[in-house]
Amino acid sequence: MMMTIGLAAGVMLALALFMTTILGWANKALHVEVDVRIEKINEALPGANCGGCGFIGCGDYAEAVVEAGAAVTLCPVGGSALADEIAGIMGVTIEESYPYRPVVHCVAHYSDKLGKHHYDSETTCTAANLVGGVQGCTYGCLAFGDCVTSCKFDAIHVVDGKVEVDYDKCVGCGACDTICPRNVIHMVPFKASKMWVVACSNADFGKDVKAVCKAGCMGCKLCEKFAEGIFEMEGHVAKINYENYEPETVEEAMELVIKKCPTKAIVEVGNPTEADLEAVKDEELPSVITADFETTVDKTEWQG
Amino acid sequence: MSVSTAPGSGTFPCGVHPPEGKSFAKDCPIEVLPTPKQVRIATQQNVGAPCEGLLKPRQEVTAGEQIGSAEAFISAPLHSPLTGAAAMAQAVTLANGRHMQAMVINASEEPQPLEGQALLDDVYGGDWPLGALEQYAPEQIVDAVKTAGIVGQGGAAFPTYVKLLRNDEKPIDTVVLNGCECEPYLTADYRLMVEFPQPILAGAILAARATGASKIYVGIEDNKPLAIETLQAAAAGTGVEIAVLKTKYPQGSEKQTMYAITGREAGPGKLPSEVGCCVINVATAAAIARAVVRNKPLTHRVVTVTGGGIKEPKNLLVPVGVSCQVLINYCGGLTDDAERVISGGPMMGFTMGNIDSPVTKGTSGLTVLRTSDLAHTTETNCVRCGRCVDVCPMGLVPTRIALASRNQLWDLAKQYHILACVECGCCSYTCPAALPLVQLIRMGKVSMPRD
Repeated sequence: MMMTIGLAAGVMLALALFMTTILGWANKALHVEVDVRIEKINEALPGANCGGCGFIGCGDYAEAVVEAGAAVTLCPVGGSALADEIAGIMGVTIEESYPYRPVVHCVAHYSDKLGKHHYDSETTCTAANLVGGVQGCTYGCLAFGDCVTSCKFDAIHVVDGKVEVDYDKCVGCGACDTICPRNVIHMVPFKASKMWVVACSNADFGKDVKAVCKAGCMGCKLCEKFAEGIFEMEGHVAKINYENYEPETVEEAMELVIKKCPTKAIVEVGNPTEADLEAVKDEELPSVITADFETTVDKTEWQG
Repeated sequence: MSVSTAPGSGTFPCGVHPPEGKSFAKDCPIEVLPTPKQVRIATQQNVGAPCEGLLKPRQEVTAGEQIGSAEAFISAPLHSPLTGAAAMAQAVTLANGRHMQAMVINASEEPQPLEGQALLDDVYGGDWPLGALEQYAPEQIVDAVKTAGIVGQGGAAFPTYVKLLRNDEKPIDTVVLNGCECEPYLTADYRLMVEFPQPILAGAILAARATGASKIYVGIEDNKPLAIETLQAAAAGTGVEIAVLKTKYPQGSEKQTMYAITGREAGPGKLPSEVGCCVINVATAAAIARAVVRNKPLTHRVVTVTGGGIKEPKNLLVPVGVSCQVLINYCGGLTDDAERVISGGPMMGFTMGNIDSPVTKGTSGLTVLRTSDLAHTTETNCVRCGRCVDVCPMGLVPTRIALASRNQLWDLAKQYHILACVECGCCSYTCPAALPLVQLIRMGKVSMPRD
């Protein structure tokens, strides 16, 4: 009896010693050097794996920063705070960087769009863009919402034919910019919480724009004249040069431009500023209605 | 009717037979549209690169003068159809949704050098030296076709001179003239074959000379006996053979015509030149003859204005660039129950949003459908009936491709050969669930990542 137990224990002990020797050797011989910075960056990153940085996911980006020297400012979700943190880990300093956010270069609601026709085929912008006559304007937003489906953050919506970005939810991953078949959505550096944008893409002559839209930019060049450097013409549509855009000085110039602009195509987008909130603080807010999820089933006693 | 010696079977697998609708304009002789006040010549009317406009505002132009230059290999120059003065360039949206600049020419106050019957005689009429075409050297023919800006007039508008270029690696032995006009309603090619067989045959012989082909076939569907008879009579002694094909859509698609006549098949994405064929539309052949023999550019074409929604259906000889609205007005306007104006035929044409868009070199007709002609259906789910598979002339599985494309499953779409689709529309026509199959496939073709 003792013999059997002793034999079993002895075999187990010998086996354990043998195995641990192999493991101990493998631990040393097959050791892979992992840069601790990769792990640190990986922890700092939000883990959304949205691909907004241009890499496959957060892990891939962390590796690229350490091993391939990718810029530390690419994560759109984390913004400048995260860029600072990664820069700290990497021991580099960063110059000022701005989060990129989408702006929509089309201001027209359904009622502004002319030459619209009944269209009952595939309701995606990509499909509708392949046929003529869905709406008169061949540059502007088709409002079937490919950008809405592409957004993982529920930050972009079509409201009455116009695409509106919810800048509170938007993380700047750029999916809407990529999917838009008409290239109406662009990513621009948000130098302030609110930015001015020319919300029209129609590069035709003013007369041709008038024929298809009530709100489009007519290419009159007044903005270029009154705010030199900020606006430039591309074809017959004004574009804002965001490199020369200084949030401190732009307001003064824009006041004049807005007064002179004959259309509704220059708009300000972004989060409301404190001044905006101040302006509406006395207005009565609609009382919040909480959804009532209770159903009759809840009150019924379980009969089964 | 003599039996053709063409090696093909006279038909192709699958396809559909939609109501023909040819009776509206079948017996209307080609009429010349009175000179319009204005034409707008879009700068990209062909497959390939756009033209560069050469006109300045208020510049005087004469009919036939070159007004757009084409530098790229696959491109075609543009010519003014009218004598008059240029105006400011305008943006136009063509029927297919393409938006581009167009050169605007206002007709002069004085009468045009060629109008009415004289114009028709100049374009297609008169005598054509069918027996004396040996005087034109192959290079000379290709050059004339290139400078005349000829593009395929069947609809796709591929620059024709590219097809006529000799390539020693892929010699061409057969020229196939496509007179099928399988698209319902359209009768422009039919009227041309019936009224002016001579320039068509002259163009065919010239194309054969340019490419070095020894055989020439003209493929005509058997629902056009008059055209078959006329061409057979005219072709006697020229070596051109008429092949009678079964009436079926899309018999006029170049791969299907080629298969039906010669029995040859080019693989997916390959051109007929790969298997030694050159397929040309009959109207294009007439334009080739005009360019070579009379040294005139492509400025006019025959357009069928037809359908139940038009008061007086007609076949018209019109200048390129004239507004479709002018054509419709000349044909008595739209009826009260007209609902849809289509540029081209109902199977492959484009519904026009704006009927003021200009006629291009590839516009073969305007079809106006009434409310009663249209099937007002709503899309439902695919019921896996397989009708689209039964009719697809390319042997594809349209429903799988279309749904893969809708869900952006590009690997699956490629696996099912999305790029082999010729967009003939048989699948959408036959689908009981009213799925927009062709549109989904087209969407996939543009959005899928390229290798």
